[in-house]
Amino acid sequence: MGTVTALRPKEENRYPGIAEAPRFSCALGGAYMATLATFGAVPILHSGAGCGMSQNFGQNFAAGLNGAGPQGNTSTPCSCLVEEHAVFGGEDKLRALIQSTTELVRGDLFAVVSGCVPALIGDDVGAVVKEFREKVPILHVNTAGFVGNSYKGYEQYLDAVIDQLLTPQTVVRKRVNLLGVVPYQHIFWKGNLQVLKDLLAAVGVEANMIFTEPDGLEALRRIPSAELNLVFSPWSGVPAARKLKEKFGTPFAVIPSVPVGPKDTSQFLQFLARRLQLRRSRVEAYIAKEEARTYRFAEYMADIAMMALPNAYTAVVADTGTAIGLTRYGSNELGWLPEIVIVTDDPPEESREEIVRSLTEGLESAVKPEVHFEIDAHKIRLLLREHTVQLVLASSLEKYLAVDELDAMQLSVAFPAYDRLIVDRTYAGYRGGLALMEDIAYKYGGPL
Amino acid sequence: MTIDLKANTCPNREQRAGAINAYYGKATDLVREVRAGSLVNQEREFQQSSGCVLNFYLTTRVVTIRDAVMIVHAPVGCSSTSLLYREVYRRIPPSEGRPTDFDLHWLTTNIDEKDVVYGGADKLRHAIKEAQARYNPEAIFILASCTSGIIGEDIEGVVAEVQAEVEATLVPVHCEGIRSRIIQTAYDAFWHGVLKYLVRKPVKKQPDLVNIASMLSYTWQDRQEITRLLNRIGLRPNFIPEFATVEQLRIMGEAAVTAPICPTYTDYLSKGLEQEFGVPYFMYPSPVGIDHTDEWLRTIARFTGKEREVEELIREERATWVPKMDAIRADFARLRPDGKKVEILGSLGQGRLLTQVPYFEEIGVSSPAAIIQDFDNLVLDEVEQIIDQAGDFDVLVNTFQAAELSHITRSYDPDVALTCPFQGSAYKREKGATRIHALRGDARRWSAQAGYKGAIAYGNFLLQSLKNKAFQKTMLAKTPDTYQDWWYEQTDPLHYIKKEA
Ligand code: SF4
Repeated sequence: MGTVTALRPKEENRYPGIAEAPRFSCALGGAYMATLATFGAVPILHSGAGCGMSQNFGQNFAAGLNGAGPQGNTSTPCSCLVEEHAVFGGEDKLRALIQSTTELVRGDLFAVVSGCVPALIGDDVGAVVKEFREKVPILHVNTAGFVGNSYKGYEQYLDAVIDQLLTPQTVVRKRVNLLGVVPYQHIFWKGNLQVLKDLLAAVGVEANMIFTEPDGLEALRRIPSAELNLVFSPWSGVPAARKLKEKFGTPFAVIPSVPVGPKDTSQFLQFLARRLQLRRSRVEAYIAKEEARTYRFAEYMADIAMMALPNAYTAVVADTGTAIGLTRYGSNELGWLPEIVIVTDDPPEESREEIVRSLTEGLESAVKPEVHFEIDAHKIRLLLREHTVQLVLASSLEKYLAVDELDAMQLSVAFPAYDRLIVDRTYAGYRGGLALMEDIAYKYGGPL
Repeated sequence: MTIDLKANTCPNREQRAGAINAYYGKATDLVREVRAGSLVNQEREFQQSSGCVLNFYLTTRVVTIRDAVMIVHAPVGCSSTSLLYREVYRRIPPSEGRPTDFDLHWLTTNIDEKDVVYGGADKLRHAIKEAQARYNPEAIFILASCTSGIIGEDIEGVVAEVQAEVEATLVPVHCEGIRSRIIQTAYDAFWHGVLKYLVRKPVKKQPDLVNIASMLSYTWQDRQEITRLLNRIGLRPNFIPEFATVEQLRIMGEAAVTAPICPTYTDYLSKGLEQEFGVPYFMYPSPVGIDHTDEWLRTIARFTGKEREVEELIREERATWVPKMDAIRADFARLRPDGKKVEILGSLGQGRLLTQVPYFEEIGVSSPAAIIQDFDNLVLDEVEQIIDQAGDFDVLVNTFQAAELSHITRSYDPDVALTCPFQGSAYKREKGATRIHALRGDARRWSAQAGYKGAIAYGNFLLQSLKNKAFQKTMLAKTPDTYQDWWYEQTDPLHYIKKEA
C-alpha cells in the first residue's frame, strides 16, 4: 500500500517552507498567469518592477518554454514601486497607471494584481480600483507574494472574478465550466483544456474553458450559467467551485485528474453521462469509436513500448493532477510499475489522504507507489536516490540526476519544463497516452 | 569616488553616478546634461514591468557560482527566475570547456504572512545552517528583497552572529528591489559584498591573470574565444562571477589587470580592486568588433608586458578574419537597392552602446537611433568619443519599456530591429527583426559576439535576418496590436513622462 513517509524527524523540519527550487512562484505570479490566460484581459501589476518580468523565466518559460504573449512580461503595465512610494504610498502612481493603461492598451478587462510592496506599505488598492469601476471592466486581485504560492494566486483570481464580476444567470442545460487546470503551473494546460472541451462537445456538452476562450471576459461572465462545474484536481479550483455553489447554486464534481488515455477518459465520459443525464447510446457509441481507433493506433507504438520500457519501475515527480493521471495510465494501460510518486504542488493537508488514495488504489500493478509530498528539490533528489527506477516522469530539474544518478530515462512532464516547447501538446484524452509514448520514445530512439 | 567597504552596501547608481532611465533626445544633449548634473530622473505615468535590482539579472548570475549557495531572503516568487538554473546551464557540453563540477544550489526562505509580522531572522538563520549542512559550500550569498527590506530584517546582524557557526563565508547582498530604479545598482551591490567579504589580500601577484567580469548576455563561445586569444599570448582569464568558483573571486586581488566586457557592469568591482588591492583596470574598449578586439588586447598587453606578443597575435588574427569581415561588409552594401546603408535599430545596455555603434561602422550599417536601458556619468568620455566617430544620433533611454520601444521602432522604421528576446510582441514588424543577444547558456557557435570569431559570427547572424521576413510579417498581419492607434500617431515615445517629477 501507499505510505506517506515523514522525511525527517519533526524538530529538524521546523521551517518546511525553506526549500531549494520549489516548483511554483508566488500568489502574485499565479494571479498574473491566470490573467494572461484570460484572452483579452490586461494585467496591471501594482508591485516592484521585477515582479512581472521575473515570472517570465519563473512561470512562462518554466511551463514548456512559453512566451508570455501580447500582454505579458515587459508588455505588462506595472507601477514599478521604489523606496519613495514605500514612504509616501503608491496609490497616486497606481491611479495614473490604471488611467494610462485604459487609454493605451487594447483590452476588454483590466485586472489589477497587487503584490508584496503595497500590502506591506498599506496602500488602499481597492479604493483606487473602485474609482475606475464605472468606466471599464476592472478587477482587483488583492494578493501579495507572501500570502502563498502560484496555486493560491489562481484561487485568488477566481475569487476576485466571482466577487467582482459575476451576476446570476439563467442556467443553460448541458453547459459546464472547466476548473482546476491551473495556467502555466499545469504545463499542458492549454492542450488539456482544449481536449476536454472537444471531448465534451462530442457527447453534446458545451464546456467553458474560461482560459484561452477567444473572448475571455465573456467566458468569465458566462460562468454562472453552467449546469455543473467540473473540477479536474482534488484541490485546485475546489474553493472556487464551492463559492460558485454558494453564490449561484451551481453543483460541482471533482475529478482527481485530467483523464489520460482511453480507460480513464471513457470512465470520465460515463460518469458525465450519468451526472448530466446524457443520451447513453450516443456516449457509448462515441466511446466505442474512439477506443477502437486509439487501441488500433496503440499497435503502432506497442513494439517500441515493449522494447524501451517493458514493465518499467517508474518515478513520478509532479503536481497532483499530472501525478495521478500519469500514474494511472502507466499502471493500468502500459504495464508500468509505479515505484514512487512525489507530489510537488504542496496540496493542503486535508486533501492529502485522498490524493494518496487516488495514487494507490485502483491500480493494476502489483507494485503500489510510495507517496511523498515534497517541495524541496534537494529532498526530492535524496528521495529518488533511495529507489531503483527505470523511468522518471518529472520536471526538468530532474533531467540530469535521473540519468547520472539513477541511470533512468527522464521526460519532463511537470513544472518546470525548460527543455521542451509545449504549445498545445497534451496527454489528456484518448490520444493523450499515445502522445506520452511518442515523447518517451523520442528520448529512447533505439536500439532496435 | 572612494568605495567604502565598511558600509553595508554601495550607494545607488542614482547617487553614485547620476543615473537616469527616462530620456529622449540627441546623444550630445544627453551627455552635456548628465555632465552638468542637470538631469533628474522622471517618473512615468505609464510604465511596464522591467526587472528590479534583484531580478532577473542578479539571481541568474549569482546562482552560477559553482561552490556557493544563494539564499534569497524573500517570499517564494522572488526566486522563481532561478528555477532554470541547473539544467539550462548544464546543457553547455563539457567538450566546450564547461566545468564538470556543476551542482548549482539555491534556497528561498519563503517569507510568509507570519514572518512579515514577526520577522524572518530565525528562518534566515536556519536557512544558512541548512545550506551549510546540505551543500558544504565555500560561500553563501544572502540576497535581500523588497519584503526583507520593508519589514526591516537585520541581515547584517544575522550574518555577524551565524558566521561563527558555519564554515562557508557569508556574503550579504543588499539588492532590495525597491532601493533603486536603476537595475545596474544590483551589480554594484553584489560587487560590494564580494569585495567586502571574499576578495583576500594578495600574498603574491599572478602577473598572467586577467580578471574579466563577464555578462550573462555574452555567450559561452565568447568566453572560449577570449580564452583562446589570451592563452595565445601567455595570459589566463579569470572569468567572474558566472561559473566561477569562490576561490576565483578570492584571488581577484592577485590579477595583473581587470578588463571590461561591459564597462559599467564591471565599474564598481574594477574601482574596488584598484583601491583596495592595487589592481589596475581600464573601461574601454570591449572586445566587440575586430578593431576594438585589437585595442582591448593591446590594452591588456600593456598591463602584462605582452606588447610584443600581442602585435604578432593581432597580425595573425587579422590575416584570418579581416577578409571575412570584408565579405560581410560587401554583402551588407549590396542589400539595399538604393545604395544606402542598411539601418539597424538596437536596444541595449549602456555598455553595449560603446561597442555596438563602432561595430555597426565596421560592418557598414548605420543606426538611426540608440535605445539604452539606463544612462549615467561613468562612461561620458567614451560616449563622446563614439559621437565624434559616428556623428550625433538620437537616444531613447528606457528600461525595457515595450510600448516606447514599439513606438520608436515604428517611427524610425529601420531595416532590422534588434530586440531583447523577452519583449512580448516587439518582433512583429514589417521589416526584419532579430534578437540582440543570446544568453550564456547558449553554447552554439552562431550566437557568438565577442572577439574576432564573434565579430564574424554576429555579422553573419545580422545578415541572415535581412534575407527572409516572413515570420515577422505574418505575425504582424495575423495578430492584433497591443496598443491603440493614437499611440503611433503622436510623435513622442515618452508621451507618459511626468514632466515635474
Ligand atoms: S514574492 Fe512579492 S516581491 Fe517577490 S515577485 Fe512575488 S509579489 Fe513580487
